[in-house]
Amino acid sequence: MTVASSVAPNRTRSRLAAIREAAPHPTRWRHVVGYMIAVYRREWQGSVFSGFIEPLVVLAGLGIGLGVLVGDKAAEITGGVSYVAYIAPALMVSSAMNLATSEAAWPILARVAWVRIYHAIIATPLNAADVMVGAITFILGKVAFAATFFAGVLLVTGIATSPTGALGMIAVSVLTAFAFGAPMAAFSVTQKSDQGFAFIFRLIITPLAFFSGTYFPIENLPFAAQVLSWCTPLAHGVALSRALALGAPVTNIWLHVVALLVWGAVGTVAAIYLFRKRMLK
Amino acid sequence: MTDSASTPTALIRARGLTKVFGERTAVAGIDFEVRDGEFFGFLGPNGAGKTTTMRMIAGVSPRTSGTLEIFGQDPDLQGSVIRGLIGVVHQQETLDMELTVRENLLVFGRFFGIDRASIATRADELLELFQLSDRAKDQVEPLSGGMKRRLSIARSLIASPRILMLDEPTTGLDPQARHLLWDALQRLKRGGTTIVLTTHYMDEAEQLCDRLVVMDQAKIVAEGSPRQLIVEHASREVLELRFPNGTESIDAKVLEGIGDRYERLAERVIIGCENGEAAHARALEHGLSPESWLVRRSSLEDVFLRLTGRSLDE
Repeated sequence: MTVASSVAPNRTRSRLAAIREAAPHPTRWRHVVGYMIAVYRREWQGSVFSGFIEPLVVLAGLGIGLGVLVGDKAAEITGGVSYVAYIAPALMVSSAMNLATSEAAWPILARVAWVRIYHAIIATPLNAADVMVGAITFILGKVAFAATFFAGVLLVTGIATSPTGALGMIAVSVLTAFAFGAPMAAFSVTQKSDQGFAFIFRLIITPLAFFSGTYFPIENLPFAAQVLSWCTPLAHGVALSRALALGAPVTNIWLHVVALLVWGAVGTVAAIYLFRKRMLK
Repeated sequence: MTDSASTPTALIRARGLTKVFGERTAVAGIDFEVRDGEFFGFLGPNGAGKTTTMRMIAGVSPRTSGTLEIFGQDPDLQGSVIRGLIGVVHQQETLDMELTVRENLLVFGRFFGIDRASIATRADELLELFQLSDRAKDQVEPLSGGMKRRLSIARSLIASPRILMLDEPTTGLDPQARHLLWDALQRLKRGGTTIVLTTHYMDEAEQLCDRLVVMDQAKIVAEGSPRQLIVEHASREVLELRFPNGTESIDAKVLEGIGDRYERLAERVIIGCENGEAAHARALEHGLSPESWLVRRSSLEDVFLRLTGRSLDE
């Protein structure tokens, strides 16, 4: 009896210590963000086009080109606003999705499998969870940066109707980036080469942009496709972003926010779990 | 007696340390101790379990069973604290190729929670020490293998660790780069850093290590200083006889009669003896006609051969 009573608290203590060793530290992950910023300072010129200019080019091309084609029917689809104003807030979140997904693909795989610096980082006081939290946080920061630029353009052109709405749209872009970036990070840490990424982009990311209410209302889809669409994160981001841009009341706002948060949170936990599994053999 | 006397200064202590991967036992219940300030080596062929042991010490590979203490702490429970006091140099480079040489050091120091000003000072010291100052602003990618390795070691020292762990540090380096690295490691050791390295190079272990364990097939087969190991497990001199047509046909009785012991390899017979010249004379008397022969002092290679019946590069 005496043995059992003296051993039990010890065991509890070691279990707690083991959990602490595996969990992210409250602040240490910020050094991974700092590291990624140092890298970004060296190569930001290269990403300006994909992150900033490209989404605007797409907006101009589709908004003006398709807008002319849609013509007078636009009002039927959009509920009264121009076609550009209809797709712009949606393109903002879908470009956040693209940026977050690709940032969680190659840059993470490279550090796991090619340059292998993650192996060096987990040999410091940081653990695998700190690395994943830091890597995902950096992606969100980068998306916030690009989204701020995009929102600024929408505000100046009058597509976004209020500064508060524009701020909300930036937040929605970051949430959407979380919902895509974290699960993608979980996928990337299991990969040996980048062949799987083509699959993700062709079969998931690119089609999603078409079935999430970006270019036409989800209600135009068959019912089954609508259900499927609401199960993915992008539809929620699009719904929020568009309502905020047009100054319309957001219906089911918390449902959308929670859906995005759940995707991000589950993705983060999965990323930490799978990354540990790969690294701590 | 020696055990209890050495206990207070042991920085790393393993008892029955075991690591099993599925069906394969990578480390099979090994005991060892690394003392404060010593240069300690794990010597053995690839796949002997050296790297796995290093990973367990560095807190990135949970052990299957046994006890392991580093600074008296369990790496499964205090991994972060332990890793903060250890510098690790991996066998494959893990540098960031997009950052400059100096930035690699600056970024890494932050992982140990050191303030920027102290890191900058320390980084410049290390660049100087490892003769990389003139490359500080260059990208890492175009550096030579030797320079990258020196940068990796410099990076591992950014937080002034008490223990430096190096996994096969000179594999793939040219002889000049190897010697440069050996000098740097010996300077560090004189400065009080405890160094643990793995190697499958005999000369490296013999040159650098105060004490080492020989590992083979997941077990420790011998332990001691290079000198002790040679005295204990090998004879004073070695006579090597070369038979390009193979050694199978040579009568074991004949070989037994030449020296204290022998090892028969595919094209060589290695004979341990007190006096190599005399042994050679005896070999000729017994009617052996080797294509060539040489006499040398015994080395760790002979110890390994004696203990395992195989040469290291087999």
